[in-house]
Amino acid sequence: MQNVIKKPIQRNKATDLLVHQILKGLAILAASFIFVIAGVILIKGLTPFITNNGGIGSVNAWKFLTGNTWLIGDTFASNLYSVGFIIIQTLYVVSLSLLISFPVGVLTALFIAKIAPKKIAEFLRTVIEILASIPSIIYGLFGAGFILKLVYDFSAILGYQSKGGNSVLSTVIILALMTIPTITTISEVAIRSVDKSLIEGSLALGATETQTHFKVVLSAAKSGIFTSAILGVGRALGEATAVSLVAGSRRSGLSFDILDTTSTLTTTMLEGMKDSAGLDYDIRFSVGIVLMAVILIVNFTLNYIKKKVGQVDVK
Amino acid sequence: MLNKRKTKDLVLQIVTYGAAFLSIITLSLIVFYVASNGLKLLNIDLIRNNYLAVNHIADIDESIPFCNCEPTKEFKNDVYYSDKWGIALIDDRDLLGKNIVEVYYVHPESPFNEMINKGVGTDVLKLGLNASIIRIAYEDQATSLSRFGAERMILELDLSNSIRELEFTTPGGGIRGSIITTLYLIGLTLLFALPIGIGAALYLNEYARKNKFTSTVRSLIETLTGVPSIIYGLMGLAIFVPFIVNITDATGGNIISGAMTLAVILMPVVIRTTEESLKVVPDDYRFASLALGASKTQTTFKVVLPNAVPGILTATLLAIGRIIGESAALVFAIGTVVKDQIKLTGQSTSLAVHIWSMMSDEPANIELSTTIALIILLIVLILNLSIKFITKNFMKRYGVKA
Repeated sequence: MQNVIKKPIQRNKATDLLVHQILKGLAILAASFIFVIAGVILIKGLTPFITNNGGIGSVNAWKFLTGNTWLIGDTFASNLYSVGFIIIQTLYVVSLSLLISFPVGVLTALFIAKIAPKKIAEFLRTVIEILASIPSIIYGLFGAGFILKLVYDFSAILGYQSKGGNSVLSTVIILALMTIPTITTISEVAIRSVDKSLIEGSLALGATETQTHFKVVLSAAKSGIFTSAILGVGRALGEATAVSLVAGSRRSGLSFDILDTTSTLTTTMLEGMKDSAGLDYDIRFSVGIVLMAVILIVNFTLNYIKKKVGQVDVK
Repeated sequence: MLNKRKTKDLVLQIVTYGAAFLSIITLSLIVFYVASNGLKLLNIDLIRNNYLAVNHIADIDESIPFCNCEPTKEFKNDVYYSDKWGIALIDDRDLLGKNIVEVYYVHPESPFNEMINKGVGTDVLKLGLNASIIRIAYEDQATSLSRFGAERMILELDLSNSIRELEFTTPGGGIRGSIITTLYLIGLTLLFALPIGIGAALYLNEYARKNKFTSTVRSLIETLTGVPSIIYGLMGLAIFVPFIVNITDATGGNIISGAMTLAVILMPVVIRTTEESLKVVPDDYRFASLALGASKTQTTFKVVLPNAVPGILTATLLAIGRIIGESAALVFAIGTVVKDQIKLTGQSTSLAVHIWSMMSDEPANIELSTTIALIILLIVLILNLSIKFITKNFMKRYGVKA
């Protein structure tokens, strides 16, 4: 009798163990992809610097990181690829876009969380949600069809011949529009979770509501707001297709003129995707390494600043 | 002092209101721009037609008798019909604004239904609707050309007794191929991503102990969300494309490698959403099931998982939205060549990449791009609403106990 009952229980135990191991394997598989990505990009991206590249000669890593020209295409068949100016252009464009999207995003979040009546807040929240879910290619299309014309006319008024509107300005506008929803959503959560007693205390001390919002609520939610900026910067740095439609692919020379064409690391990677072998193909992975490095460094720096800022204000 | 404070408050208030208003303006501008440019081309033919127009030269099969038949339906005034050949033509303009003669109707018994192909490809050609006729050459009279219009072409057709050859173009500018590719991508990606994602979520929520290993796995998966999609594209290009090329007859980027790349991108989303829905399932269910003698596996798959189905559905819908909108990764993992004959092992474009491919060409085809964008926007909107609906109902079912 006992044997009869024991058998199914043992079998169940065996299945349990098997299922446990399979599910564990799936989790490990999902987690291991980050190593796969990092490994592949590193191996492929370092090739141009160490091999001869089929007679062209290896790319000089120092020149690659600091140089001022990006020569791509069969006609050149050179090893003169450098992303130095592109790194700076990327950071320039992203920080300008943050200059627009950060205040707008945070103020929108403040409006939704604290000022607007319930119905308007709900409506705005839906608007932000839809904006966040619009694919980037549509932002790019909107930029190419609408913003470019505006920028072109604007530059014409200034007596400036821009390349059909492809410029730093258009790129900045598109990136700002794309990051506003990210910043708003995260900031709103931070602002809403500010302790009520802080607000009431401020009001009781005679501060007006607006003063309370700007001086108490925003500074109490500082850490969350900073996180939203970090995420926004991350999205802006990694954005590719939308930017490639409005940037105007600059090949050489650093320029801080907002009506001049520009290039970012991502648009450089997208440009002229044709060959599936050779230096023109491998060099994209090197740009990929640079992009990942830039994202990591920017993230660490911002997180460091966030810690510092947070520490000063803890009372 | 008080006055100064009031003005300052007012300025800050106005700035805040303005900022909040900006997002509404942005959304309405985007929607207005896409709708106003895209609505023109939006019709059922767009979805059915091929993207590339194909030129055909055909000969009429002399053994088929003349049609001499009445049309089976009424025509508008500007449609011209030939009883003898059983075909109706209409004047139209193509996307470039040039005059063309379009096929409006072909009678079932018309000789145009079975023509002999003089070019490469299949032997028998059928003159389809909306094909534009370039020229008709006759044995017994001068050639009819499309630039003289549909009326004259029908008159000349009626006079003639024998057609030497017919040159026509199938209608182009459709997005059938891209729609099929997008559907393939959705199916395959979910096939790859859901089992791994749900399995990993089940492990993390039901089995894993709270230790260093689990938190490492969790943070590694979380790190994946911060990687930009273009980097995923590079990975797909470097790993999945060669892998598929080795095991199938593919020669370059292909739909399968694209779907695998998308699956990796979506993994963290699927895992997180599924895990959240697993957390909402009350522990009582698990205890009750275990107390009734069910094994851990039975409890997990027969009690916990079915109760988390709405959450998994949300994850699926979120994933579909991402697949439809993703472009940068697919540019690398599949390619940017717009195709009409879709093969799983061949290159083609999803709807989003189709837009990118047309926009980065010179000159950019903004009209068709905005039309596709309109379709994508509509789908994304519907998906969003369904997600909201499902989540609301799901949360209601378990109350706010979670």
